[in-house]
Amino acid sequence: MTLNLFLLQLFTGVALGSVFVLLAIGLSLIFGLLTVVNFAHGAFYMVGAYVGVFLLGLTGNFWVALILVPFVVGAMGLVVERFLVRPLYGRGIDYPLLLTFGLGLVLVELVRIVFGLEGVPFDVPDALQGAVNIGIGWFPLYRLFLIAVTIALVVGLWLFLEKTSFGLIIRAGARDPEIMRVLGVDISRVWLMVFGIGTGLAGVAGVLSAPMTSVIPDMGTSVLVEAFVVTVVGGMGSLLGAVVAGLMVGIIISMTALFYPELADLAMFILMAAVLLVRPQGLFGRKGLMG
Amino acid sequence: MNGASPPILAVRGVTMRFGGFTALSNVTASFPQGQLTAIIGPNGAGKSTLFNVLSGALPPTDGEVLFNGRSIAGMRQHHFARLGISKSFQITNIFPDLTALENVRIAIQAMTTRFNIWTPRSRLTEMEDRAAELLSDVGLAAHMRRIASELAHGEQRALEIAMAVACKPKVLLLDEPTAGMSPEETVEIMQVILRLAERCTVILVEHKMKLVMDISNHILVLHHGEFLAEGTPDEIRANSEVRRVYLGEGRR
Amino acid sequence: MRVTSTKSSPNLFNRLAEIIGRYRVLAVLVVLLIFPFVLPYQALAANILIYGLFALGFNLVFGYAGVLSFGHAAFFGIGAYGTGIAIVHFAAPWYLAIPLGVVAAGVTAMIMGALAIRTRGIYFAMVTLALAQCVYYIVYQLDGWSGGEDGLTGVTVRQVDLGLMHFSLFNPTAKYFFILAFVAVAIYVFSRILASPFGAVLEAIRENEDRARACGFDVRLTKWIAFVISGLFCGLAGALYAIHLSVVPIEVLHYHMSGQVVMMALLGGMGTFFGPFIGATVFLLLEDVVTTLTSHWQLVLGLVFMACVLFFPRGIWGSILRWIRP
Repeated sequence: MTLNLFLLQLFTGVALGSVFVLLAIGLSLIFGLLTVVNFAHGAFYMVGAYVGVFLLGLTGNFWVALILVPFVVGAMGLVVERFLVRPLYGRGIDYPLLLTFGLGLVLVELVRIVFGLEGVPFDVPDALQGAVNIGIGWFPLYRLFLIAVTIALVVGLWLFLEKTSFGLIIRAGARDPEIMRVLGVDISRVWLMVFGIGTGLAGVAGVLSAPMTSVIPDMGTSVLVEAFVVTVVGGMGSLLGAVVAGLMVGIIISMTALFYPELADLAMFILMAAVLLVRPQGLFGRKGLMG
Repeated sequence: MNGASPPILAVRGVTMRFGGFTALSNVTASFPQGQLTAIIGPNGAGKSTLFNVLSGALPPTDGEVLFNGRSIAGMRQHHFARLGISKSFQITNIFPDLTALENVRIAIQAMTTRFNIWTPRSRLTEMEDRAAELLSDVGLAAHMRRIASELAHGEQRALEIAMAVACKPKVLLLDEPTAGMSPEETVEIMQVILRLAERCTVILVEHKMKLVMDISNHILVLHHGEFLAEGTPDEIRANSEVRRVYLGEGRR
Repeated sequence: MRVTSTKSSPNLFNRLAEIIGRYRVLAVLVVLLIFPFVLPYQALAANILIYGLFALGFNLVFGYAGVLSFGHAAFFGIGAYGTGIAIVHFAAPWYLAIPLGVVAAGVTAMIMGALAIRTRGIYFAMVTLALAQCVYYIVYQLDGWSGGEDGLTGVTVRQVDLGLMHFSLFNPTAKYFFILAFVAVAIYVFSRILASPFGAVLEAIRENEDRARACGFDVRLTKWIAFVISGLFCGLAGALYAIHLSVVPIEVLHYHMSGQVVMMALLGGMGTFFGPFIGATVFLLLEDVVTTLTSHWQLVLGLVFMACVLFFPRGIWGSILRWIRP
């Protein structure tokens, strides 16, 4: 085994981790503000991929599809928050979770009805085909693109949260919802937006990973579990935690796939168990959010 | 210092920080055995924080909590309860959907049969009798079978005190026991508290100055998270420092 | 006359509910005894028994202790695989294989519980789901033992000999009553647990966790014990499932199974004694009807689930109780 192979696999892990990062940020953002665990997150990811397929078929242009998907899926998120999740606030934290679980089943089945059970091909766009030499060896261009988009989105989101007044409201609200009430901010609108952003991010993750995996109705199932593991490891409600833990899980999966393929499915759970034993609130989680 | 009775509970240099905010700063105080001690101070003085440190709900950032001379800071909360440090809450804190009797029985159970998964509760008559007795003590004999959430506010406070007593406390911590009560209810609860004070050490956080001066025999004054004064009601009344920061403000 | 009759009727219901509540174990058993004779076919009746027991065990954690677990498929599945492996690979008799499955499920619950209980509130659902999925992968990969993707086949118990009595489990009615015997004992034990001081503590924790802690209860330990007990009941359900079907499909460990049991408990009425069995009955009858009409059962399931959460959170039995005792 050469060092280069090792480094390439590391890079593959980062690309895989990028998808987890996008998913976990969305999950974490929604939880941090609304204390809702979105069990339909995997389904929104899957819907993102299918909406991508649909838009690609309609326009024939990958870039248009990529840009439109988050808005379409985000808009679906808005509708879900407004009409399904909102009536459940104040009725105990388990209810929104149960509702989104049911919603996930519905979304998967609807996609089955519309697109069928078989996988749908989603080709890497011409401009992103092939591989480039990144110094340690040849690496698929599309995965580099995926990493770049993730970096851009994370930085953009960070700037949005840190530099805009709306971002300030979100951060304040995540720390203490009372503050927003005192300041006279319309919380319900903020929650609506955050739910939309979170599901939109899941949609982007879906369309971005579509060319690398098979687009099937069940593609969100295992991803949901992976996103949960990342969130538990990183700490619920922490942006930094989602990024670090997402990359960690991605790298651990691709590394065990290289060295101990039979453990590849289990490695991330071992990481999660270790984190739970040492730091149950997650690497970057705050104790207060656990209640 | 009260030479007569040694402290059952004491804090030594207790500091409590929440992020950048210091709620308690290097507070040292003692709570004499068998006395009724009141913790007072203007809003934001750190009364509730100290209360939570004493009950084990918040482990202090720094400093010692001593129970009969033994350090107990950092122990988990249910251990505090089993040592005999029992608390009643600022917000009414009961098991809302259970009957008054079940509420008290659960509190008794915490001290006796925690993990019995087989004997039907109905056969543990001893426990039920004791629960009924405690409810009579706080004037709820007629309401034993009622669902706790349907009781009047004053009755719920009484129920809560019965639950606190059910733990056979050596120290009973009461956080604003008369908050939100009508004058009649306040008088009733005061009598209950005085009866409790005959049995165990009572520490209470209270806003109503007159009430505090009337019923307590020892007072601890906090101000801006710091220790200000400690003494009998007369000593506190005479303390110029206290008058300035507390009584003065109150009379404004 | 009219006035008195309207006044007395809720009283009548109330008394009836009280009597049923007092003899709740008997009430369930009477219904279950006549079940195989009123349902369209026996296999459905046996399924209701098994899923009802599964939901009953789950309800201890969700309905009584107020902790939402999304990992109960692991206990059901390990119960099924434990029993199945004992029979297939070790030719164990049923009276050893079933307890073995139950114990295996209990051990799984101990480990999963010890990890998940370190977190609180909403984390619990995520962590239990992830850990159950981990169990799924482990069993999936040990295909020499578990049969992997194809599931474990050949879990056959032909003959049951009980000294004087012996009967063949190929007879559906005999099999139903064989399973019912286990379920009956389980229901009795469950009822005793609920009526015990420990049952009271669980309800106290659900009602007000902080207060229970201040009373001197070790909330974490109590929840863990409830989780393990719940795992044992679900493990028994899984063990019976293996014997009922003669195969253990890998799907028993899938998280949709966890979702199904949540749905049954919710549909029947969480935190009620009869709820789980009512929920399992309605769920399975609905599935039976819908799957003959359409292949999109999951769509109906999801919609019913959402409707339950939005409009019907007390479930069937919970709403009936509410109605007779306003």
